[in-house]
Amino acid sequence: MTMVLAVFRNEIGRLFSLRPVVSVVVVAAAVYAVFYPQPYLNEALRKVPIAVVDQDRTQTSRELARLVDATPDVAVAQVLPDVPTAQREVYARSIFGILLIPRHFERDLMHGRTSPIALYADASYFLMYQRMNGAVTAVSRTLGTSFEVSRLVGLGVDLPVAEAATDPMPFIPVPLFNPQGGYATYILPAALVLILQQTLLIGVGLLGTLPGGAAIAVGTSRRRFGDLAYESIATVAGKLLAYLAVEALIVATYLIGLPYLYGIPRLGSVATILAFALPFTLAVGALGLLVAAALRKPLAIQLVFAAIGLPFFFLAGFAWPAEAMPLAVRWVAKLLPSTLAIDGLVDVAQLGASLSDVRGEFLGLWLLVAVYAGIAVVVEFNNRRRASTPALVRGAS
Amino acid sequence: MQRRDRERPGFSLVFWRELAWLRRRPLLLMLTAVIPLGLMLLLTAILSAGLATRLPIAVLDLDGSELSRSVIRAVDATPDTAAVLHVAELSEGRHLIVARKIRGLLMLPRNLERDVFAGRRPEVVFFYNTQTFTVGNLVLRGANAAIPTVAAGIRISLRTAEGQPVEEAQAAITPIPLQTHALFNSTLNYVHFLLAALLPAVLQTLVVTTMAYAVGLDVETRHRFAVLRRLGGGLVPAMFGKMLPYTILFLSMLGIADAVLFRFLELPLRGDPSLLVFAGVLFVLACQFIGALLALLLRQVAVAVSIATLLTAPAFGFMGIGFPRLGMNQFAYGYGELLPGTWYLMARIDQTIRGTPLDLSWKPILVLVGFVIVLISFTALRIWKMRGSSEGRAP
Repeated sequence: MTMVLAVFRNEIGRLFSLRPVVSVVVVAAAVYAVFYPQPYLNEALRKVPIAVVDQDRTQTSRELARLVDATPDVAVAQVLPDVPTAQREVYARSIFGILLIPRHFERDLMHGRTSPIALYADASYFLMYQRMNGAVTAVSRTLGTSFEVSRLVGLGVDLPVAEAATDPMPFIPVPLFNPQGGYATYILPAALVLILQQTLLIGVGLLGTLPGGAAIAVGTSRRRFGDLAYESIATVAGKLLAYLAVEALIVATYLIGLPYLYGIPRLGSVATILAFALPFTLAVGALGLLVAAALRKPLAIQLVFAAIGLPFFFLAGFAWPAEAMPLAVRWVAKLLPSTLAIDGLVDVAQLGASLSDVRGEFLGLWLLVAVYAGIAVVVEFNNRRRASTPALVRGAS
Repeated sequence: MQRRDRERPGFSLVFWRELAWLRRRPLLLMLTAVIPLGLMLLLTAILSAGLATRLPIAVLDLDGSELSRSVIRAVDATPDTAAVLHVAELSEGRHLIVARKIRGLLMLPRNLERDVFAGRRPEVVFFYNTQTFTVGNLVLRGANAAIPTVAAGIRISLRTAEGQPVEEAQAAITPIPLQTHALFNSTLNYVHFLLAALLPAVLQTLVVTTMAYAVGLDVETRHRFAVLRRLGGGLVPAMFGKMLPYTILFLSMLGIADAVLFRFLELPLRGDPSLLVFAGVLFVLACQFIGALLALLLRQVAVAVSIATLLTAPAFGFMGIGFPRLGMNQFAYGYGELLPGTWYLMARIDQTIRGTPLDLSWKPILVLVGFVIVLISFTALRIWKMRGSSEGRAP
């Protein structure tokens, strides 16, 4: 136990004294906390600019354009004479859609004929297409229904009957969580978990590759197997506890403080979130030890991890549904603590799941802790055994 | 190698020395070839299966009538949703949504059929989860397509029961039909679109950080800086000899990615391919000089690499592919403006799925040209200042 404590104390000391480590684990975590969420803070895409090409120029066509402009999703930015002119504006990205109201729009409606309108929407940006299509569809339906009702009333049908005939079975979609459909609410809880993983992985990787990590002297004389094994286990345990202690505050800030500051609704209890974060932090720490052993140089760790964050994010099955991934990729994804942690933590924090609801993810993370820590012990053991074999000591130094 | 050591100092000497470094340093080779190819493969594999279809939803059918069964059949028939199980109560369905076993719950109220035909307008409720954005939107799209279709059938049958001819009834229920045409990307295929944007985003980070590292190795100590200058026969040819091998390597990576995208995944290439290549060259150069400038300004390799990572690793969100830049706050919009990737992706979308006419294609490309000119000037200025100070201190 004293050995574990010695490693723990040494590692904590290094964490705060090695500048590269402090700048990743503390400074980068602080900078990302402010920097990363910026694009999403407005939560929703509002007022996508479109143009109206009104070939009808009647009261009804202007009413239609006004109703479209009044929706929160779309704004009529320009009124243009024809579709080719408008299409050039779409190419220039000053508008993203064209609403075409053909000639005789009003006349056909008044005469009880169908009177189609057309929306040409830029489909190269998914969210914009969805917004424009949704808004114009809703307006055309509402306006159409009001015409249908007034026609029926004109034919002598009672108003309630006419309303029932136009909308006999109303469809009510109810979003259970994130009811505003906010983009920050969707992406930040997952992204914050991923940033935690990235900073901790790089931090632990740097700690493992910078000098001074051996708190228990690596003996040069021949040692007994049992001693070596005990020292290895103590080293790994001490280091993991040190990371856990330092990360406790950062993890709490990221999982509870930041979502609160950014106004992301939280249904789960703080205790459940922190309980779930425990195996996540340990698994990332243990994986960091392996990263250090594999990459060996601090710069290699910094460079390799710089570009890997974005693919990791897509692996997590959040930005891209896991259902749509090939099975092999899904299994590879499960090797990363972030995959199980994002699923579990979002369920717990945003959906209000209990630990038993997410026990699959919870136990999975503990399994990762056991496997990664186990491998880390074996690596440490091998290093120590090699060091204690006199012939190799000179070769290594 | 022997022969080259005796070569006259100049651009080509530094160029060949850099290539030899690439061979000798596994880390550099990893960053310029292994990692980009590996990540491309991984991202392609993640997105290869296409968008999720037939997402599982549950049904709470309290009516059990002919009508409720036809609603369920309609929801099951959309490409987006599949009705996989029946639940007995609301709480059970909610629980299954939280556990992510199902993605939505369709509730059909008691006496649905009777109330519909009595004109009492019973509501069909669909619960879904918007916390998982993409999946939530997909199941909603499915339900939203299916249920109004069933309702339309009812509306037609209500009218034909009154003696209206079927065609007239069909016309009467939608007085203002909306025809939506997708400009560009007409198949609404976001898989390839996303992939085509992700690869340059990954490359942007890789190029900036790798250049910060590679240039940093030469400028970290005054001695190495002097060696590079001597080999190059002057600092400016030395710098360009140093950069060019990476330009070639990273452009090859971009070329391989694009070959896969356009040849095998059949991403549309509607614009001018030469413009696309030109934009690619400008993009790689701009990223390279950002990395080089960071190394020259910060001197310490580790610090330069850290700052390069900090600036470019979160860049994807700022480039407006997932959440459009239009919806961003001032800071995010401005930061996106400063990233070469933002403009390159614009040029890329113009020349691939949009097929933008030539006279409207220049803006992003001219901005990239501006980036390269400004960055090269700053780099030259910095080198010139460093030369001044190192000569001043030399005995």
